Amino acid sequence: MPVFARAQLRRQRINFALFLGPALVLLFLFFVAPIVIDLFLAFTDMGRTLAVGKFTLENFERMFTRDTRLLGALGVTFIFVLATLGIFNVTFALLLALVTTAVPPRLGAFFRAVWLLPRMSPSVVYALLWLWVADPNERGLLNQIVMHVFDMPPIDLRNNHPLLVIILANGFIGASLGMLIFTSAIRSIPEHLFHAARVDGAGSLAIVRYITLPALRWPISYMTIHQTLSLLVSFEYILLITGGGPFYDTTVFSLYAYRRAFESGEYAYGAALSLILVVIGVLAALALWRLMDMKQLLQQPRIEVH
Amino acid sequence: MAADNLVAARGAQARPDWPALARRAWRRRFTGQSMLLAFLVVVSAPIVLPYFWMVVIAFTARTGGVASDVLWTACAVIAPAVLIYSIVHMSVPAPRLRLAAGLVLLAIAGALLAALIGERLHLDNFRFLTRANFVEEIRSKATSGAQFPSVWNAFFNSLLLAVSQTVIILTVSSLAGYYISRFAFRGRSVFLQGMLVLHAFPAMTLIIPIFLMLHWIGLLDTIVGVMLVLAAIELPFYVFVMKGFFDGVPWDIEMSAMTDGATRRQAFRLVVLPQVRFGLIAVAVFAFIRAWEEYIFVRTFLIENKNWVMSLYLFWVSDDVMGVDYGIVAAVAVFYVLPSFLLYVFCQKYLTQMTIGGIKG
Amino acid sequence: MARIELKNLRKEWGGAIAVAGIDLAIEDGAFVAVLGPSGCGKSTTLMMLAGIYRPTSGDITFDGARVNDVEARGRNVGIVFQSYALYPNMTVLENVMFPLRFKTIERTEAERRSREVATLVRIDGLLDRRPGQLSGGQQQRVALARALVKRPHLLLLDEPLSNLDAGLRLTMRTEIRRIQRELGVTTILVTHDQVEATTMADRVVVMNSGRVEQQGTAEDLYERPATLFVASFVGSPPINLFDGHAAGGMLSVNEARLPLADPVQGAVVLGLRPESLRVNGSGDSGRTISRISAVEPMGREVLYTADSAFGVIRFLEAGAEPRHRESDDVPLGFPPASALLFDKDSGRRLDARVAA
Repeated sequence: MPVFARAQLRRQRINFALFLGPALVLLFLFFVAPIVIDLFLAFTDMGRTLAVGKFTLENFERMFTRDTRLLGALGVTFIFVLATLGIFNVTFALLLALVTTAVPPRLGAFFRAVWLLPRMSPSVVYALLWLWVADPNERGLLNQIVMHVFDMPPIDLRNNHPLLVIILANGFIGASLGMLIFTSAIRSIPEHLFHAARVDGAGSLAIVRYITLPALRWPISYMTIHQTLSLLVSFEYILLITGGGPFYDTTVFSLYAYRRAFESGEYAYGAALSLILVVIGVLAALALWRLMDMKQLLQQPRIEVH
Repeated sequence: MAADNLVAARGAQARPDWPALARRAWRRRFTGQSMLLAFLVVVSAPIVLPYFWMVVIAFTARTGGVASDVLWTACAVIAPAVLIYSIVHMSVPAPRLRLAAGLVLLAIAGALLAALIGERLHLDNFRFLTRANFVEEIRSKATSGAQFPSVWNAFFNSLLLAVSQTVIILTVSSLAGYYISRFAFRGRSVFLQGMLVLHAFPAMTLIIPIFLMLHWIGLLDTIVGVMLVLAAIELPFYVFVMKGFFDGVPWDIEMSAMTDGATRRQAFRLVVLPQVRFGLIAVAVFAFIRAWEEYIFVRTFLIENKNWVMSLYLFWVSDDVMGVDYGIVAAVAVFYVLPSFLLYVFCQKYLTQMTIGGIKG
Repeated sequence: MARIELKNLRKEWGGAIAVAGIDLAIEDGAFVAVLGPSGCGKSTTLMMLAGIYRPTSGDITFDGARVNDVEARGRNVGIVFQSYALYPNMTVLENVMFPLRFKTIERTEAERRSREVATLVRIDGLLDRRPGQLSGGQQQRVALARALVKRPHLLLLDEPLSNLDAGLRLTMRTEIRRIQRELGVTTILVTHDQVEATTMADRVVVMNSGRVEQQGTAEDLYERPATLFVASFVGSPPINLFDGHAAGGMLSVNEARLPLADPVQGAVVLGLRPESLRVNGSGDSGRTISRISAVEPMGREVLYTADSAFGVIRFLEAGAEPRHRESDDVPLGFPPASALLFDKDSGRRLDARVAA
């Protein structure tokens, strides 16, 4: 018996190392370690030379008292996240999910595929399309329409309405994830409920109001937190389309941290700024975690030997 | 008695006007569906049009200009054709007739397009595939920046990055996903919850410390470094996706494999893995597309142009010659987007099967 | 309340035919059961009556008016689904009141009516609960109340009892019957359970492969099944069927030969109900010595399997105690009038009898 037990224990150890080892190593090296390094970095004076001179609170002092740009970046971030989230990532995503499930299935799938196209195409290509759409001269796609259909002078979206551009660009991509999640949530509502409601006399709007939306309460709150977080930290399309400009007009907080580190070479200050995002990230992740169905997730394995 | 009331009330109920109800129902269904479709077409046009514009530029533009008339001519042919076909599709139920109508329309539209814009199409813009020094040819040598590498160099770098990252993710996430789905071990719930937090955690915020780490361990400006970082930060997501697939495999087949004499490792390899092959395909496709399109991390971690991947190549091409030659930029973009696009179109049915924490994505 | 008629009603899904042209007339206030195996098109028919599915061809009429194109919400039909389909986010009262939301009825009046129906189906004590907190039987009653509250022309029940356990099923059977009688609402019940169909409904319609095989009372179906399918589907344990050949006034089935009372020629199927077979009955036909191969006591009766001259045959005897044992040889026969004869090719019952 002890021989069996020992063999079992050994097998257990080997299995752990074999199955989970690679993931643990990767996660620790490039995920957990950077969090610790960031924490450490935020309290140093690392600059372009990538050397640590001293430990200091200066970064935070600068952040809270002296950095005038930061306030602007916060304002831009607030408008950007709120508008993109409110208009596209949740509301429009919901609308798309509702409409594509109300038309014949094949057509619905086609339009969903169209809306996924921006998410599936490389970000540089997607940004390039925006540059071509918003091109300020008569070649811009938008200007071709504006000038020839509406007979108006060409408009320069990127310079005059830069925030609008980045909201639209991010929103067109952001809507697709919510659309997918809401679509599958709608699909998982038992069909009999829809049938019963129709027999009970409900019209399409009443069905949405009394059957569909109540069933989407959970996915909607999940998407709201998830997308707030992802909008808060993502700056890829902004960097590619406006570069954060003109001036600092579209520099959101995360891009500001990036620019401070990689454009101005103030790595320590960038790390300190990022630290704030890290904290927000952890908080939001915890909030999401509460929304997850932990019981299902933690279901006990039914084979006990290794 | 309640029932008496109900019966009495029913007697007084008026006969409905059935024909009027039928007419109203028909009207409502028709207007409802048409409005929904019109809505979808209107909101989707701003997505489709730019992609179409890119393709048109790639195949028609010449140095110094774009041919916007070609775009609108093409639209003027294609839009009515699609409209006519959808009317046919809605009013004709027979699939044969629909197909015939579709083919006729396709032939007419094709012929019209060939006649109207056929001679404007050319492949000159794709010369970047064979001539590495096209940038210098477009701009004079003095104003152009550094020497451009060949596009194939960037293409194979991208391919190397995407394939190796996909292999790493596939291996590591299926091993870990299986372990946390099926094995009982101490700390399982802690590990799961930790992964859950990491999965929601935005790795983008860690770009500065990761940059420094790569610098310290000497992997900065190498494909290997980017590959490991990309694999790691996406890993929690894929582990959960794989766990979801493994959760769906019935326990019975694993138990019977074990009573048939297999160890758990053998049961995993021989019985369970084949059960989740569609999940593996989904993860592979998704991981490949993600790595293929990556920009921020490669831009930050890859510096020398021999290490450029396709996203950087396209970025620098557009940065260098955009104002002068739209055509070649669009051609590079088409070349770059094609692999993702094809994978997406052909593997869509696998991608829709992914779930995370009980939610389909 | 309405008189319902289906005229040559068809439904196809792509190329697959679910309902292959059925004709049916249901009198005002009648209780009709549609009985058939799963996939026979009975639920599809019900969904077409409710206005959820649109017929491919044929007509549905309510009181003589064609309603094919009337939407579900305009038909004033009540329906109880197998899963009950209660709205999970609403209380019981809200569920029952839901159909009245879409009618021009004052809220107070709607609530009064809902409470009235709730009393009728005996859920008046549960009005503040949510569906998740109810047992299966209670959910069923709520679904029934919701279907009845709008005073429907037609009540549709889609396998309403199949999710209940045996005891509750019995109670609900009587309950639904009682409520239907009290209200006099035209009702169609769809089920695969013959006992449910025959005990609850006045008339039973048997469907198979999208067609109506037979309609009639329970007695009609049992004693005068129109087709082989009805004969084999109705009755438990199932009828014994043997292939035979009729020629010159004699029917040969395997080694047995039976005289026929009427002239029949060709391939014939002989049907013998297990309960009409008896040991040592006087005046029986086709008496053969059969060897018993299995004895299965079923409580108040015993089911025997025996090897007879016809082939393997099953018969029932009343009484809890088995009177024969395995390997016993018994003289097995049946009253001539109880034997059913079917044409083998068409499957239709022949109007012919076995002679005494």
